[in-house]
Amino acid sequence: MKINEIISGVLRGDKTSISRAISIVEGEPGSKNSRMLMEKIYKNIGNAHIIGITGPPGIGKSTLIGRLSGIITNSGKRVSIVAIDASSPFSGGAFLGNRIRMQESLARNGIFMRSIASRGMEGGLTASIWETVKILDAGGSDYIIVETVGAGQSDIEVVNLAHTVIVVLGPGLGDQIQALKAGIMEIASIFVVNKIDLPGAYIAIKDLQDTLAMSPQKGWKIPVLGVNSLDGTGFDELISSIGAHMDYIQTNDNAKEEIIKKELKVIAMEELRRSFERKMNAFLSDQKNGEILIKGSVNIYQIVDSILHDDKE
Amino acid sequence: MLGERSSVNGKNQSLFKDRPIKILLAKPGIDGHDRGIFVLSKAFRDAGMEVIYPGLLPKPEDVVEIAVNEDVDVIALSLLNGAHLTVFKKVVDIMKKRGIKDIAVVGGGTIPDEDKPKLEKMGITGNYGPGTPLSVIIEHVKKRAEEARKLKMA
Amino acid sequence: MSILREFYHNATDNVLNRRLINDIMPTKTKSFWQKKLEEIERSKSGTNADYDSWKKRTLDPWNEKTHFSPAEYTNSSGFDLKEIYTSKDIPNDYEKKRLGMPGEYPFTRGIYPNMYRGKRWTMRMFSGFGTPEDTNHRLRYLIKHGETGLSIAFDMPTLYGYDCTNERAEGEVGKCGVNVSSLKDMEVIFKGIDLSKVSTSMTINAPAAVLTAMYAVVAQKKNIPIEMLAGTVQADILKEYIAQKEWIYPPEAHIRLIRDMMVFCTNNMPKWNYISISGYHIREAGASALQELAFTLADGFFYVDLGLQAGLEIKRFAPRLSFFFNSSINFFEEIAKLRAARRIWAEVLKEKYGVTDKRSLGLKFHTQTSGYTLTWQQPLNNIVRTTIEGMAAVLGGTQSLHTNSYDEAWALPSEDAVKVALRTQQIISEESGIPDVIDPLGGSYYLEWLTDKMVEETYRYFEQIDRLGGILEAVKKGYIQKEIAATSYKRQIRLEQGKETMVGANKYVDEDEKPISILRISRKAEKAQVARLKSVKSKRNELHVQKTLLDLENAMRTENENTFPYIMKAVEAYATLEEISNVGRKVFGEWKEPIIV
Ligand code: B12
Ligand SMILES: Nc1nc2c(ncn2[C@@H]2O[C@H](COP(=O)(O)OP(=O)(O)O)[C@@H](O)[C@H]2O)c(=O)[nH]1
Ligand SMILES: [Mg+2]
Repeated sequence: MKINEIISGVLRGDKTSISRAISIVEGEPGSKNSRMLMEKIYKNIGNAHIIGITGPPGIGKSTLIGRLSGIITNSGKRVSIVAIDASSPFSGGAFLGNRIRMQESLARNGIFMRSIASRGMEGGLTASIWETVKILDAGGSDYIIVETVGAGQSDIEVVNLAHTVIVVLGPGLGDQIQALKAGIMEIASIFVVNKIDLPGAYIAIKDLQDTLAMSPQKGWKIPVLGVNSLDGTGFDELISSIGAHMDYIQTNDNAKEEIIKKELKVIAMEELRRSFERKMNAFLSDQKNGEILIKGSVNIYQIVDSILHDDKE
Repeated sequence: MLGERSSVNGKNQSLFKDRPIKILLAKPGIDGHDRGIFVLSKAFRDAGMEVIYPGLLPKPEDVVEIAVNEDVDVIALSLLNGAHLTVFKKVVDIMKKRGIKDIAVVGGGTIPDEDKPKLEKMGITGNYGPGTPLSVIIEHVKKRAEEARKLKMA
Repeated sequence: MSILREFYHNATDNVLNRRLINDIMPTKTKSFWQKKLEEIERSKSGTNADYDSWKKRTLDPWNEKTHFSPAEYTNSSGFDLKEIYTSKDIPNDYEKKRLGMPGEYPFTRGIYPNMYRGKRWTMRMFSGFGTPEDTNHRLRYLIKHGETGLSIAFDMPTLYGYDCTNERAEGEVGKCGVNVSSLKDMEVIFKGIDLSKVSTSMTINAPAAVLTAMYAVVAQKKNIPIEMLAGTVQADILKEYIAQKEWIYPPEAHIRLIRDMMVFCTNNMPKWNYISISGYHIREAGASALQELAFTLADGFFYVDLGLQAGLEIKRFAPRLSFFFNSSINFFEEIAKLRAARRIWAEVLKEKYGVTDKRSLGLKFHTQTSGYTLTWQQPLNNIVRTTIEGMAAVLGGTQSLHTNSYDEAWALPSEDAVKVALRTQQIISEESGIPDVIDPLGGSYYLEWLTDKMVEETYRYFEQIDRLGGILEAVKKGYIQKEIAATSYKRQIRLEQGKETMVGANKYVDEDEKPISILRISRKAEKAQVARLKSVKSKRNELHVQKTLLDLENAMRTENENTFPYIMKAVEAYATLEEISNVGRKVFGEWKEPIIV
């Protein structure tokens, strides 16, 4: 497929083109094609509502997304999904296992879903996911759901792209909840306690509510919901909470501004990172620099300065 | 940008250089023999590939749909139940109908020798059976992935 | 709340409670398994001075002199093996406590007093392919050649509860076994075979109740009372989720249907073994001998609990539970595993469940040699492998045996190949002298040590499984499956590295493999089956069929109703396998497996 075909395909909402476009932004980030693609589709974005879903592995995120996406589809809206899996630090390979839990709903409802491996790209991941989301947006999705494992800084960064951030927890996590709270508390729009069919779920709900009660909440009041993703219990409330949060963003200028700031930061950070990487690579690939490094004749801080301020690119 | 970096383990150098080989493993028939496909999944991952396995009993049309969504380089079909001639064919027929040419299809399982040329003719290569070393299979997948990537941006 | 629901409720409750307890405070009360493990530890004699001094005195100097660096010896279960075992490796009182005598507790040496002198094992060759006519022909061929029990293999659509006319069945009908879409097909399979004389084993699980009902109705139509029917239906659904992967509904639904069949058969079909608790598939899916043993017995005790929960008296149903093990290529490991199985079953039933009835305590089992060990390359070598494995099964005291054919890795067995496989058993039975004396390897230091070790490590697994919330929970979460897949991958890598050998496949490889003639099933079988099903459907009383299906649906929705008689009614009305299975799909939904890799 040619890049122009791909671009017009994305704008038409053609799945094959969308899929190929994603391959370009995740497969060759920052390339000419990727840049061109993003610029050409940019005027068509901004319609989709982005929902980020995070939480510990095995808590039922993928199952929940399968059900949620089915409900959204049945309401006549178009939904797409992006799910991130961790790559193996040893081989660089990965199992992209999120699909298995939602496949039935995806097939039944004709939902587009893309699995992406984290590939140890620290900051880069956020950018390529952000671009992926924008492609889906330009392709006509009304809702885009992003699943990440709630571990590590880059994960928090990724869900932070979302308009509505859902943090999924479950019964029996005990101390894990405490540990999670630290980073995640600030970004959650909605807390979901999944697996309420299992004992201990109500304790988890109560625990979260208590913690929330202690922290000052202005504007949006973060709800704590119990659901069962296997049989759909509690999904009505989940849907209406997502709706309420959408309304809140729409009507609240502060919230809107926050989101635009978030976006700007992601793009700027990525540009910065890419430019730094180019400079760094240029520096490292120069034989002479290697010798200088080994000799240790130049102070390492001086080297850093000269890399950062190398503007010839 | 193409071919700039050297090929890393499992990584394809020509296009999408930052993306390792992406492979979909599937058993599209009514077949629960999954020991082999688990072994292959792990072996592919350990060879640096990104592996998708959607579980048992996907329909042929599901397999193609997943492959398109994920834009994989290779679909690896495995059947030990003797239905490969009918079921593998369904998969490639759907691909043909949807005009998909840039995803390679490889096969394997309990496949009698005399069926191999028939599968090759459908465009399904490899068709390895019991006792095939993993190294042989991985090499084959890498070769086919390379071919598919060349077609992706042709 | 029904008994069953309560049972699960309690089970999940326990998981979390237990987890909480384990996490928060060290367990105060010791579990049964922990106590058993301590008992075993106490019985050990500590170091083996004989071995140690011999090693120092003779072995090490020898190795040094010959520049021999000892390789690591291990088996599938991962036990480290010494060069030699002596009496010091087994407890002093092992004869009395751990061996016993044949027909006596703990049955390590065999469950019958006279074992093969009284009755040889049943030679049961798993067969079935193509149309019911083809299979009927094969069964009669085997009976003519001296087979003593029937064993039916079904095709993929049948195993998953689809009719031959289902879209998904295209190209699969009759390929891996015989196709059964309605009662009519079962009538043909057993044409001219006296069901009151033979014993029949059916390898069917998710739709086990439907096929059992069909068998019973075929008999009724021949005026044979169902009380007389002898045989086994596999019906072990736990190992389906673990290994064979032939499920339709979520586990709880299948377990409910099994409970119904258990209750019905206990009361109405006294010679029908309604469940065959299978390690075979677990092993073939990649488990080690130890894992096969531990997971299978854990399944077994789960069914014991199920029977008790259903209100059955243990001595009425425990004798009807039979097992099905694998016999793989590591000769002593397999024999030890089979002996250990008997001991564990008896010990646990007696000490944990308080069972005293001898018939309940004796673990009966069928054995099949390992298909996985058979190679596509140089297929005749497989005859030798199967012989070794068959011998291990007999030395392990099996009640019946299937030996695989040399064309195992190629296709369903050809007539020639299956004959050699049957002859292999006949040679072991009638020429080798192996069955002449009971448990002839009993007392071998190595074998006794290995048997003890199997028992001990199995208890360790039981403790772990309990900590995971019991076998059902562990299976639903995919824990057991993951463990097996890991073992299987490890084995594969060792083969790849040449650390383990498969002659002809990764060592002593031939450049050119000569093709062998194999059984091929043509698409004609599918056409014939589709035609037959159409004709069945056109002849039956449609209204009656729909009524029986509705009744079945109601029964399924009522937890305390026994579904089995309703299934029989539907079968009798010629409702098809898929129609009946679809009622369950509607009521219970379908199952999606957990992530394993
Ligand atoms: C293990 C096994 C089982 C296990 C499966 C456990 C599991 N979860 O996987 C159990 C005991 C449960 C089982 C059950 C049955 N089995 Co079975 N089984 C086998 C057996 C012995 C070995 C298969 C195996 O796992 N090998 C080890 C793995 C690692 O190798 P592999 O899968 O062959 O994969 C290698 C290659 O083939 C290749 N490969 C495979 N797929 C692919 C794909 C690609 C893209 C590539 C490149 C390579 C590749 O690479 C791998 C590495 O070398 C074979 C016979 C044999 N020796 O091959 C019969 C066999 C496949 N089974 C058979 C049958 C009939 C059945 C049943 C239908 C029996 C019945 N009627 O009840 C059931 C059906 C089960 C089901 N739900 O589908 C037949 C199939 C006949 C046919 N095709 O004509 C066989 C050939 C045995 C026989 N001769 O009868 N079985
Ligand atoms: N009991 C129960 N199990 C659930 C529920 N939701 C998901 N699960 C199970 O939890 C396991 C992990 O689910 P998955 O969606 O893969 O979790 P993820 O890793 O967070 O994406 C699966 O076995 C699901 O079937 C629920 O609401 N109740
Ligand atoms: Mg997930």
